[in-house]
Amino acid sequence: MDCLLTIDVNTSAVKIHAFDMNGRVICWKKGSYPTFHPQPDYSEQDPEQIFITTLYILKNLLNEHIHSKKYKVRTICFSSSMHSVLPVDKSGNPLGNAIIWADNRGVKEADSLKSLPQSNGIFHTTGTPIHPMSPLIKITWLKNHDQDRFAQTHKFISLKEYIIKQLTGEYVIDHSVASSTGLFDIHKLKWHQDSLDFAGIAADKLSEPVDVFNNDLSLKKEYCITLGLSPKTKIIIGASDGCLATLGAGIISEGKATITIGSSGAVRVAGKEVLRDEKQRFFNYLLAENYYVSGGPTNNGGVVFEWFARQFGEFSEGLEFEEVLNDLFKEASQVKAGAEGLLFLPYLLGERAPLWNANARGMYFGLNISHERKHFVRATLEGILFEIYSIGKILETHRNFEDIYINGAYASLPLWTQILTDMFGKTIHINDNHDSVANGAALLALTKLGVYANLEAAAATVKSVETYHPKTQNHETYMKYFKIFERLSYKLSDEFEEIGLLQSRGVS
Amino acid sequence: MNQFILYQGKSKELATFPYISEFANHKIQNIQLNSQEIKPSNGIRICFITEGKFDWIIDGQHHLLYPNDTSMTCPWQSMGGSKGFFDIGSLMWIIIKPKVFEPNGELTLGDWSGISETDQRVIGKILSLNKKPILSRLKSCQQIFQNLETEFFAKEMGYRTRINHLIDELLITATRHLSKQDNLRRDFPQTFLKLEQTLRENLSDPWTVEEMAGLVGLGTTAFTEKVKAFSGFSPLNYLINIRISEAIKLLSRKDLSLTDIALDTGFYSSQHFSSTFKKLTGYTPREFRKME
Repeated sequence: MDCLLTIDVNTSAVKIHAFDMNGRVICWKKGSYPTFHPQPDYSEQDPEQIFITTLYILKNLLNEHIHSKKYKVRTICFSSSMHSVLPVDKSGNPLGNAIIWADNRGVKEADSLKSLPQSNGIFHTTGTPIHPMSPLIKITWLKNHDQDRFAQTHKFISLKEYIIKQLTGEYVIDHSVASSTGLFDIHKLKWHQDSLDFAGIAADKLSEPVDVFNNDLSLKKEYCITLGLSPKTKIIIGASDGCLATLGAGIISEGKATITIGSSGAVRVAGKEVLRDEKQRFFNYLLAENYYVSGGPTNNGGVVFEWFARQFGEFSEGLEFEEVLNDLFKEASQVKAGAEGLLFLPYLLGERAPLWNANARGMYFGLNISHERKHFVRATLEGILFEIYSIGKILETHRNFEDIYINGAYASLPLWTQILTDMFGKTIHINDNHDSVANGAALLALTKLGVYANLEAAAATVKSVETYHPKTQNHETYMKYFKIFERLSYKLSDEFEEIGLLQSRGVS
Repeated sequence: MNQFILYQGKSKELATFPYISEFANHKIQNIQLNSQEIKPSNGIRICFITEGKFDWIIDGQHHLLYPNDTSMTCPWQSMGGSKGFFDIGSLMWIIIKPKVFEPNGELTLGDWSGISETDQRVIGKILSLNKKPILSRLKSCQQIFQNLETEFFAKEMGYRTRINHLIDELLITATRHLSKQDNLRRDFPQTFLKLEQTLRENLSDPWTVEEMAGLVGLGTTAFTEKVKAFSGFSPLNYLINIRISEAIKLLSRKDLSLTDIALDTGFYSSQHFSSTFKKLTGYTPREFRKME
């Protein structure tokens, strides 16, 4: 029987899924790797470790579940997280670790680009917000602060390109990952000269951009042998995880939105046109040619609740972290919507959309003498979700959507989904696939293989298994509190800046 | 409470225990200059504070110790009062001289100890890699010290065996506490990251699962389960992946021989390195190097 594999190189792990030709999951496996923080603002990963982990998981999955059950792998489709930068030398050797999306070392470079006249053009041409996460800013940082490495660099690639180079020997980048670099013209599908000029590089320092359906690559002979794969196995280059999660949630056209909450979060819509926001609050990434995924990312998703659990959870009697989290969710569900007037701004990690303020900080507001611990638990959760709502609300001024689809480890927890439903006052659906990114990659591959006529047909196969309906009374309560939440977030910008400055100087 | 300081070679109570160089229960009522100068621990030194507040410098770092705190230092680590004398208070201590204890973690306690060779290696590793020599609020140490004191002075039948056991008990209790206090259940990802960093810094060591588990304060069963759930790998396979990742990096440095790379990254021979590398990547290290 034929099958296909999807390989998703994400921030914490590589996940490999095998699908049958009907798009059903046969099996999957993951292998994690760490993120290193050599300095507080730095986030790096070891490219060799990610490559070896990928190879190891691939090999084991094939041996344990694929070869032994006589499946034949027809194609492998890749996805990865966005925004990573890995400088490599002429021989393809990494020059140090990869700098990943969460790395904030380029704050000054981002600010300086924002003050230039061409910044508006770069934002609208490339679709990528001008922010330290963007490879454009990271490469500029290397130019300004690590001249030796910059000079030695033969190519600036992403972790996905590195894995593909190792497996196939070629430097190629798909349009989707390219569209998140800040260096790629999402309309003309080529590297953007103004961005290249700002970063101080020529286009040949980047890989060759190709369509997301491209399957010209093939595995190196040795890998075919050790992995037991046919040399005819097609490698589909695939897209970025954000875009594939959207496709995997069944969203490809207007009228629908998807909310993802894992450790960070995002609200996204899809369509045939870019979404033009004059305040530059939303990204426009390419899922495939003429398909755009637009939306806003937040830094402060599940990671903020995990922080809360570590500080204030009850770890007695040898409880594991997941049990402590569950206890807290139970506690939160005992409090009415609105946490009796206790509000929480979740900006522990600064914020991207919609504030785009790296200095934003967290706060509890409205505390009175009758508030108990459980109100804090509830308020923390609601604060994280108010932030998601605030992105969705502004997104709605550009695009209408009536139905929302949920994915990510946190968003699909019943309490979280219900609160989101009540906040948005819209119907929210949970899909039948357990991993939207893998599902999106499989749908892309199956479309290429001709199983589906086009991406619309592929997306239509995603079924919702559970539907949440809003409770009007809760919605009204949330809207009253949200007004204060939103005002506080903007009103405090001077104070955010001041406290951010003091904290970064280490004033105790 | 009785007060005493027993010294090996001077106090007859220690004559049958040549591996104990000091054992004391000491109360300080007046400050005496130079009573606690900073010097090497000269053995595994375990001090338990019963009263007062002590301001010590251990390995160049200031530490404040309060009642129920325990310090545990290795032979090569220096320690003493920050002003060179004992602060006012009470404390108990013991200095154990292992047969072998090297800064690389190699530890042989001696024939008196009932701790297995494997566990001695784990203890050696944990102590030598430990950067925080203070065990806070470890009250169970006090009971062991008191039992030791009773056995030493009462000399009832079987006291030699008991004392040997109690010292094993003390070492195990303190080492377990040490590896647990920084690795709380609430943050396994953090624990895992720290373990990864330790492994990378000491990649040429032949790590065992016992050692890795001991280092993060878990039993091998729980450790293996947690690593598997968190990373998708068994602990040894995770380690092999780190070894190979580092090896790939070193392969691009043409001045290094394959044997050097193998040994640096913890393979016991270049053959072992080659076969593991080939099994995983499909290439021998030599082929991999040529490709680049």
